Amino acid sequence: MSTEVVQQYETAKADSNWGLLSWFASVDHKRIGLLYMLLAVFFLVIGGVEALLIRVQLAVPNNTFLSPQFFNQLFTMHGTTMVFLVGMPVFTGFANYLIPLMIGAKDVAFPRLNAMSFWMLPFGAVLLYWSFLTGSAPDAGWFSYAPLSTKPYSSLPGVDYWIISLAVMGIGSVAGAINIAATVICCRAPGMSLQRVPLFVWIMLMQAILILITIPPLNSALAMLLIDRWLGAAFFEPARGGSALLWQHFFWMFGHPEVYVFALPAFAMVSEVIPVFSRKPIYGYAFVAGSSSVIVLLSYGVWAHHMFAVGLGMGANIFFAAATLLIAIPTGIKIFNWTATLWGGSIRCTTAMLFAIAFLVQFVVGGLTGIMFATVPIDWQLTDTYFVVAHFHYVLIGGIVFALFAATYYWFPKITGKMLDERLGKIQFWLWVIGFNGTFGVQHFLGFMGMPRRVYTYADHPGWATLNAISSVSAFFMAAGTLVLVWNVISSLLRGSTAGANPWDAFTLEWFTTSPPPVENFESLPEIKSRRPVWDANHPEQADWKTSTTPADNGHRPDKAKTSAWAFVVSEAIFFILLLVAYVVFNARVEDASGPTSETALNVLRTGIFSVFLLSSSVSFWLAERHLSRGDTTGFRKYLAMTILLGVVFLVGQAIEYNELIQDGVTINRNLFASTFFTVTGFHGLHVTGGLVALSIMLLMARKGYLTPKRSKVFGAIGVYWHFVDVVWIAVFTIIYLGFLQ
Amino acid sequence: MIWDHALWHWTSLAWLVALVWVALYLIVFRRAAVHGLRSLVLGASLMVLAFVSPIGVLADGYLFSAHMVQHLLLLLVIPMCLLLSLPKEKMAQWFENARLDRAGRMLSHPVPGWVCGVGAMWLWHVPVLCSAATQNAGIGCLRDTSFLLAGLAFWWPIFAPVQRYRLPPLSGISYLFSACIGCTLLGIYITFTTITVCPAFANPVDRLHVLTSLYDAGLTPAIDQQLGGLLMWVPPCSLYVGVIISLLCRWYSNTETVTPPESPGGYGRPFSTSAK
Repeated sequence: MSTEVVQQYETAKADSNWGLLSWFASVDHKRIGLLYMLLAVFFLVIGGVEALLIRVQLAVPNNTFLSPQFFNQLFTMHGTTMVFLVGMPVFTGFANYLIPLMIGAKDVAFPRLNAMSFWMLPFGAVLLYWSFLTGSAPDAGWFSYAPLSTKPYSSLPGVDYWIISLAVMGIGSVAGAINIAATVICCRAPGMSLQRVPLFVWIMLMQAILILITIPPLNSALAMLLIDRWLGAAFFEPARGGSALLWQHFFWMFGHPEVYVFALPAFAMVSEVIPVFSRKPIYGYAFVAGSSSVIVLLSYGVWAHHMFAVGLGMGANIFFAAATLLIAIPTGIKIFNWTATLWGGSIRCTTAMLFAIAFLVQFVVGGLTGIMFATVPIDWQLTDTYFVVAHFHYVLIGGIVFALFAATYYWFPKITGKMLDERLGKIQFWLWVIGFNGTFGVQHFLGFMGMPRRVYTYADHPGWATLNAISSVSAFFMAAGTLVLVWNVISSLLRGSTAGANPWDAFTLEWFTTSPPPVENFESLPEIKSRRPVWDANHPEQADWKTSTTPADNGHRPDKAKTSAWAFVVSEAIFFILLLVAYVVFNARVEDASGPTSETALNVLRTGIFSVFLLSSSVSFWLAERHLSRGDTTGFRKYLAMTILLGVVFLVGQAIEYNELIQDGVTINRNLFASTFFTVTGFHGLHVTGGLVALSIMLLMARKGYLTPKRSKVFGAIGVYWHFVDVVWIAVFTIIYLGFLQ
Repeated sequence: MIWDHALWHWTSLAWLVALVWVALYLIVFRRAAVHGLRSLVLGASLMVLAFVSPIGVLADGYLFSAHMVQHLLLLLVIPMCLLLSLPKEKMAQWFENARLDRAGRMLSHPVPGWVCGVGAMWLWHVPVLCSAATQNAGIGCLRDTSFLLAGLAFWWPIFAPVQRYRLPPLSGISYLFSACIGCTLLGIYITFTTITVCPAFANPVDRLHVLTSLYDAGLTPAIDQQLGGLLMWVPPCSLYVGVIISLLCRWYSNTETVTPPESPGGYGRPFSTSAK
């Protein structure tokens, strides 16, 4: 595989002559990382302007600056933009740029996939903002609660644009996460054991894993909503037997871990900035790394705390409250780690450090109000008030955006080779601290006073006007601070002082190469014997490995094709699990006996026979793989062709079944059984088709003699997927045809 | 109400089982370390608790949630205590025997353990089986035994007394994380489904005349099943996360590059994560 990467470098070098156009064709992780960041900055400005418009509307009571509908569109687009077009890309951008440098790799594991992941984003962004031109931007909130988002209540295409663009961006995010995970697992330089990677790398690996498991619930919900809207199903329409609550479950199963998808990178950035400017290694590396892993494990079990007010029942509320309190522990641990790192350190108050310290304080405020919300009665009292708005903006801006600014000031010299101006940086810092706390601090009080969120205006209740005015005026301080940053960036690019390779005397590998790094990243690497290789190289007499040992590298690197296949399969498995959950939810109910059911409509025996074909294709695939690794190409091709044939037979069976059902009037909009049946089996059929395309490409390559025993691992990676499709079918067959769990 | 005489089953066979365990342990491992004995006594007491206390009595046809507590004790907690109680030196000697070694190695593969642990949860909550095991003492006994055995198989790759049968920490973490997803799914299903997972608990025969007080306390069948589902979901995952944290600690504290593959006292020593 290494030859392939080298070839890509050659193309990347050739590209650089094309000027601006080369950015479109680039597969260099640094350029793609920068593209991610620039896109995020662009949409930060757009989302910020939307926020300012919202604040202008709310500055005085009974304002008519915006129409109610436009206000709804603005807060929907503000939320969606900030989550999907700022938060996701900016962190993926930093990960893309920094991770290969930090682990001493030449590039990410799959440079072309990386470019594809990025270009999905502008595509999704255009789709999302195109909706303004249709005259109906999405206005159902960034969470698009059903039934508001279903056809009877939102008949204009705004929500459709919202769904499609989120699905497109979700595909890009999953592909990007697979790439990051494979890079960290498979491409580390010799000596860089997983216990030695910089905390940024470890935490971003955890974030990648979290993205892999958290985007699929959103995708399955989006698919179902789209089927509702376009094909007339009723998954989320209670009037026709659907469940609006199911949308909330699925959405928050995505939405809550998504908070950690943002919080983890902020932790990652702060964990690099604070030690460097305290001149100490991080206090309790294993605690920070371990607690980040625990966050990933726990984040999936707390979503329902967004739903305390919908009436889940006391038992469910208590358990989710407990789980939510539990997840505060690993987050709290880290606050102590960072504080202890500062303790006794020789602190340098650079702009980056100031932002990191402000992060600590403000994130604690946001975290503590989060713990308040974990308590069910407080949640009931304050839900849908401005207290919630204050809480999550303290987490997202006071915590995460401040960490991002710290990261910007810290890594800007590495990325551009120029230093940012510290004086301007401090002006920006104070503008943001005042602006941020002014805007959102007072919203806590507004929330206590009962001001509801998502309402375009308010009556002149005592105190509301003053507090809202403070909030709106302060928002402009943040805008001014942002302009200062933009000015700082432009002026330092034009005439900033040169940074040099390691201006901060930092510890990790990215500071070992020049600023900006060359296309191939490193000319040479120092010996990696501890968590701070650059410190060791620059201060050999005080090298870390002399005083404290870390687990050595065993040199084992899994195959990246198989690693990525497994990561993909995990993600897809969750997608199918949720579709099957929807099937079980809608078909386990006795009262919905009208219309066709699985017992009356399905021919179990015939489908069972066709299933045998699909399952035996797994066996023939296994045989093909064995022949390939033995070097028997004829046998390999024979069994591969047989696998494809068996898959096709299965699809033919499915086509016959669909045809018969449709002839009998069982269509996707008939009832909930039909909707869930066609959704689950249809998506499975789509996956079989995808697998067949991949296998056919393999067969063509085998014909041309490209598939040698050496490359059998790539083939094995497709095998992981193919076997997975079969396993999914076993689950589908057991649940739908054999009636398990009903 | 918890001290109501009817809610305690003082003549349960669990006493006998627990006593046999302790006696056997003392006879076989005469010079065992104290902490091993401590785990065993903990396991034996939990065994008694699971059957003698109201947990056991109410699990017998009254409360699905009590059944779930008993189920988790039998499947997860007691087998873990039993495995942790085994003295490593002695075990290392025993498992030098070729046949035992083969069995130990077979169980150390993650698939059988995972299937036993997660499969036992799913299988015994198929409505027919769940009701049958509650209503028929013979099947109930079979179920409880299968829980204990499945639990031993499940924890073997994590807590086997001989180091070489344990999974490397990162694999152990994925093992437990996927097991957590397995019981989460079942927990979610039981919590939110509208059908009765275990019909035996929907209309209990009120042998002990406590049903009214149970309902008065709010434990109606619907709430009871919801609680059961949540118990299936949150406590096992918390336990797994706890074990995952301990595995992570081991992974990070491991500073030795190579460990002799057959270290007799390997338990508790730092060991290598190198994939073999």
